[in-house]
Amino acid sequence: MLTQSPAPGLVNLFKVEDVLNMARANSLWPLTFGLACCAIELMAGGAARFDMDRFGFGVFRPSPRQADVMIVAGTISRKMVPCIKTLYDQMPSPKYVIALGGCATAGGPFKYPGQYGILEGIDKIIPVNVYIPGCPPRPEALIAGILELKKQILAGNVQGVMSPAIAHDSQDNRPAEYKNAISRAEFRQPKADPPQTEKPPVPTAPVAPTTPPPPASEPKN
Amino acid sequence: MPIAAEKNIKNWFLETLKPDEFAEKDPKKTGISFEAIIPQNKIRDAAKEYLAQDYFLESLTAVDFAECFEVVYHFSKWNALDRSCVKILVTKEENKTPSISSIYKSANWFEREVYDLFGIQFIDHPNLKRILLPESAEIFPLLKSFKGEPAGSDVTQSMKLIGEDAEGFEITYPKSVTEHNKDYYLNLGPQHPSTHGVLRVLLHLSGERVLDGEPIIGYSHRHHEKMMEIQNYLACWPNMGRLDYVGAMSYNFGYAVAIEKAMGITPPPRVEYIRVLTTELNRIASHLLWMGTFLLDLGAFTPFFYCFDDREKILDMLEMVTGERLTYNYFRFGGLDKDIPAEMIPLVKQFMPEFKKRLRDYDALITKNVIFRHRTNGLGLLTRESALSYGVTGPCLRGSGISFDLRRHEPYSIYPELDFNIPTRTEGDVFARYWVRTKEMEESLKIITQVIEKIPAGEVTLGKLPKNVPKGEYYSAVEAARGSFGIYLVSDGTLNPYRIKLRTPSFSNLNSIIDMLPGCLVSDVIAVLGSIDIVLPEIDR
Amino acid sequence: MTILPEVLRIVLWGTVAILFVSVNALFLVWMERKVSARIQLRQGPLHVGFQGLLQTLADAVKLISKELVFPNQADKYLYALAPMAVFAPVICAFIILPVGRDLIIRDLNIGFLLVFSLTNIGFIGIFIAGWSSNNKYALLGSMRAVAQNISYEIPLLLSTMVIVMAAGTLKLSEIVLAQSKGWFITSQITHPVAFVIFLCSALAEANRAPFDIPEAESELVAGFHTEYSGMRFALFFLGEYTAIFISSTIGASLFLGGWQGPWMPGVFWLLLKTYAIVFVIMWIRWTFPRLRSDQLMAFAWKILIPFAIVNIFITALVLQFQKVLL
Repeated sequence: MLTQSPAPGLVNLFKVEDVLNMARANSLWPLTFGLACCAIELMAGGAARFDMDRFGFGVFRPSPRQADVMIVAGTISRKMVPCIKTLYDQMPSPKYVIALGGCATAGGPFKYPGQYGILEGIDKIIPVNVYIPGCPPRPEALIAGILELKKQILAGNVQGVMSPAIAHDSQDNRPAEYKNAISRAEFRQPKADPPQTEKPPVPTAPVAPTTPPPPASEPKN
Repeated sequence: MPIAAEKNIKNWFLETLKPDEFAEKDPKKTGISFEAIIPQNKIRDAAKEYLAQDYFLESLTAVDFAECFEVVYHFSKWNALDRSCVKILVTKEENKTPSISSIYKSANWFEREVYDLFGIQFIDHPNLKRILLPESAEIFPLLKSFKGEPAGSDVTQSMKLIGEDAEGFEITYPKSVTEHNKDYYLNLGPQHPSTHGVLRVLLHLSGERVLDGEPIIGYSHRHHEKMMEIQNYLACWPNMGRLDYVGAMSYNFGYAVAIEKAMGITPPPRVEYIRVLTTELNRIASHLLWMGTFLLDLGAFTPFFYCFDDREKILDMLEMVTGERLTYNYFRFGGLDKDIPAEMIPLVKQFMPEFKKRLRDYDALITKNVIFRHRTNGLGLLTRESALSYGVTGPCLRGSGISFDLRRHEPYSIYPELDFNIPTRTEGDVFARYWVRTKEMEESLKIITQVIEKIPAGEVTLGKLPKNVPKGEYYSAVEAARGSFGIYLVSDGTLNPYRIKLRTPSFSNLNSIIDMLPGCLVSDVIAVLGSIDIVLPEIDR
Repeated sequence: MTILPEVLRIVLWGTVAILFVSVNALFLVWMERKVSARIQLRQGPLHVGFQGLLQTLADAVKLISKELVFPNQADKYLYALAPMAVFAPVICAFIILPVGRDLIIRDLNIGFLLVFSLTNIGFIGIFIAGWSSNNKYALLGSMRAVAQNISYEIPLLLSTMVIVMAAGTLKLSEIVLAQSKGWFITSQITHPVAFVIFLCSALAEANRAPFDIPEAESELVAGFHTEYSGMRFALFFLGEYTAIFISSTIGASLFLGGWQGPWMPGVFWLLLKTYAIVFVIMWIRWTFPRLRSDQLMAFAWKILIPFAIVNIFITALVLQFQKVLL
């Protein structure tokens, strides 16, 4: 699929762009950037069994100046957000972003109503080319994501997408079970166990008898 | 006057300190032998006495009640099951309490965390600033009055942080950097190939020699503790798998043991054996990952691939059982999610001799490699006093000569019936910690051999369970791959925990690096950091 | 004027040399990735061309098409100069390499010295790169590189002195011809020791593991070339691989008989011996951990240099005895 050039120029550069895209697709250098659990699957993807180097994807560069792809692997906490933006800005174009895992896609298992600590998806601050869901996704899923990115580059459409919710923040409106603080005095009364509606079962091994601690307190000074 | 031979902390409390309230507790149910509530001005004396009697500060946290805060200190001892709890009441108006960071160095970070999450201030703390949330944050999230950010303001807040950073949000360095002197500051991380996650170490260097270094954490804070307060106990299992994702079975184990102790139930025997089997396999996998990445830091690229190859074989076995490769939620209260398939045990039996041969290869190629020995001998010394003051546990502690392993000293499950050694080495340097972990892999193999011989038939669930965890406070700890993982649970008898504090080993272990860094070269910093074996999400929770 | 054909000859052979360097660097990078993959239990580049042979070409084209970044407040001229200062001298070293009988671009009397001087100028480029990048990691990397390169020049020259003494000349073509009766590495007891010292020093000069602290990936992000992107980074890479190639060719010429061998043309034998040494260099990289910078200095000054000096004395004694007795 060839992209249409916006205005006919004097020199037709179609073929050059195709060749360059072929080279870029086959030689993607990732930035070593693991945030949390998905980073381990990224490392496993580069290790001997799954070997991403077969596709040309194996040269991990630690410096953002030399990397093409930023694989955001893991949960993005708010403290980390400016660092990610700086790293993305430091990468020279053409650059691509892969959001690996549920957390980088949309917040993952750490999204709950009223959450205060994470950014729900990296696409809220930088454009993402490929999303790979999973918690964590298997290395095969990561390789499938890379091949998808290759397809996109060869086709020429590498403008990543940003989340449409960027202007409206998180949309999580579920009711949440926030409780109020309980009274300490009530809490510390012995024998104030709430009535158990079900009897504890008879386990197969004998249970150690639980004697309540004697409420001894030394005379106050 | 107390008799000289009876130098024990309980007598000291009763006779010398005279607490406001004192209660003996049953260690089997609550995890502590006594609980003392003392006035604020006596906490420093108590801390000094604990330190003099060789106790380490295991955990320091706070609980938010309606009338006041309770600041809870847990002290524990090596080689003896002797944990006790000291509490201070802090009224909401006053919001202050004395700091014990001059006595116990681990209290420095614990108190910063309590300030960060609750807003309680610590008098005379040298550096009371936020540790887990960004420095410009204005919320104290673990207060019960904090009911969450208004309909997800994550993007707004993030944009604000990006803006602050772009405007030259400068960290004020302790020393002026405009003078022309030979030292300078270098930031290691948060994006760095060797920090194993998002850790930042601020190094003050003179040439290549470190004058001092400070780890800065919080880049991976995923609000586990707040999340667990609004979920029910069953919904908290996935959190346990994601705390330390490399050794997640031990965290499953810790949670299961804590809740089962609180509910007063015992799982069937087959469950115990399967739990130990999967946990020890996971421990080997965790040490293998550590070894691969540690050697990668030192510049040897190849052992990483061999270690991951072995680890993949273990992951195959665990995936066959649990369905997951990494972040397991396999245990349940009083049982397991499902039984192990019949093909697993033959696979384990086939794996063991292959792995023993690989261990011999690692020994020949790494342990006896002269460059490796030169890079690791005599480096990053952790002294006994430092370990006590920072509350270090796990292989880091055993590399410094102290043979403390919760599987032996605070036994749970079937560990008392199994025969295994605790590898210990006295030098306390990077090589000692490496050696301890390689030997621990062999000991885990020994445990697995015994387990698969003795594993009984039976069910893997208890059937019906008590509906709620009974009201009360419980502490329980297990030996994870990185050290002692403890859970302090305050349950009000309802479906959700009231307060759950996760005492993770890497938090205290990383804190101890502050003593190890001065005098190192930059290459050594990487080696020392690698030898402590940290996983960032369990530090930042 | 007789100078014109000479100039044309140099230009022609220079072009051939530059083309050869480019293709050779592509091949060497592919070889490195395949060798490292096989040592690490995996396959390496497989799908880009047959067995991944076109992988490096794709890398090179991609690097050419990358945006050239210029860091804030970096020194403009020095920043642009550094990659060229690293790459150019190494190419010039091809002038005096003996590729076959009478196949040499310029057979200088002091060819031996010139080759070593040219390969050693490269470190100035590394120093400039680190300094001009305005980045503390790059500066640390280049400081280490300067210390390391200066220290290892001495054992490099001292160890190869024994060859000069044995051959009696500094002309490279004659050193190779002096081995027609037998390779130098096997002719005397001091020469294998010299070969080992030469190999260690050549590794250190090219910043290869276990001496790669200037670009220690796990410590200094990317060392002295942290701030370089695109074609400039590619030039550093090319310079490093060409330096390895030149060192191996010199090693083959000085110790292993150069282009001499039965039946096949000289170029074939030279390349075979060179790539054998390159393979050993790659093998070493993927086996050992990295030395720390002070341990590296200690290794050069306290072990390699004394051994090299003792080597020279013993060689001198042996040569005198041979002269006296024969």
